[in-house]
Amino acid sequence: MILDLHTHSVRSDDGRAKVDNYCQWIRKKELPLDGFVLTEHRQYDDTSDYRDLEDHYGLLILKASEVETDYGHVLVFGVNEDLTNAFDFARVDNHIGDVLSAARRCGAVAAPCHPGRPNVGLFAHYERKGRIEGVDLVEIYNGGSRPGEDEISEAEAQRFGYRGFGGSDSHIVSRIGYAATEFDEPVANIDDLVSALRGGRCHARTFR
Amino acid sequence: MVDIDSLRRDWVGKEFHRAEYTIGQQQVLDYAASCGDTDPRYSDPSNPDFEAHPTFIGCLGNTRDAMTPQDFPGLGRGRSIDGGKSVEIHGPIRPGDRLSARSEIADIYAKTGRSGTMLFIVHRLNFFNQNEEPVATVDLRQIKAVED
Repeated sequence: MILDLHTHSVRSDDGRAKVDNYCQWIRKKELPLDGFVLTEHRQYDDTSDYRDLEDHYGLLILKASEVETDYGHVLVFGVNEDLTNAFDFARVDNHIGDVLSAARRCGAVAAPCHPGRPNVGLFAHYERKGRIEGVDLVEIYNGGSRPGEDEISEAEAQRFGYRGFGGSDSHIVSRIGYAATEFDEPVANIDDLVSALRGGRCHARTFR
Repeated sequence: MVDIDSLRRDWVGKEFHRAEYTIGQQQVLDYAASCGDTDPRYSDPSNPDFEAHPTFIGCLGNTRDAMTPQDFPGLGRGRSIDGGKSVEIHGPIRPGDRLSARSEIADIYAKTGRSGTMLFIVHRLNFFNQNEEPVATVDLRQIKAVED
């Protein structure tokens, strides 16, 4: 089962893709995706209901978040009310240690995304400020990466012993599926996803 | 780093400027022509539904006084860039209408990217007609680079 774990819809301030149009594109282009995860910037969307789209297109649509920290951007899967109260998703200066520990405490998984990217990638901050504890999973393939950035992500993840996953980071419809994650077992809901990510029962794929 | 919370507290949601505009028929026609839109609703004054093209309102109110409060602090380094404009139409605008444009800062937020921290300032113009009916909301995003 293949899921794109990093997408943005019009609910993100820089997103230009409607969720319905993502679904249409996946089916029209026969992309090898079984679903995708919406990771809106600096927020958790707890209001949108995509069950009709899931049924209509036969796709799994899950919701997560992309938050910003002093060590770059971090995807958070399995967001719940406890977690949204644990730190301010809207801030750009959250301490990554707070985000990682809050996610663990609340049953979620927090994983740095595009870690090979300047300024907003984990490994750029490692160079300047040193390694932090608590990271075990990073996005090694990102569909928005410039040449060389995924190579840094993959090499550094290997050096630090981090597991990897993939996501397109799409903000427009035609970018969905540029990178994704293949799971060893079916994922039916966000709990399955969190369990699989935590247990390492998945691997990153790139389709660029 | 700019104190976003303080900025938001001091500036967001407070009306700071008003301007009045009377809508002329020729400017409505000129705008439709410049868009290449030949729909009679926007290009034929004899059409019973004649009104301004939906994006016409974006032409109004683009003045410094309407965009930024006079005592708004200078933020960041260098010049700002245009972060785009969104137009929401609430009702028709027709020749002869007298519109009131009321300015506010709708939002201030930051985000981080490859080039560092960027500050987003959302300038909002709320347009009302002569009957105090809302006819449009126009948001303009200004982006500034700030020190990390």
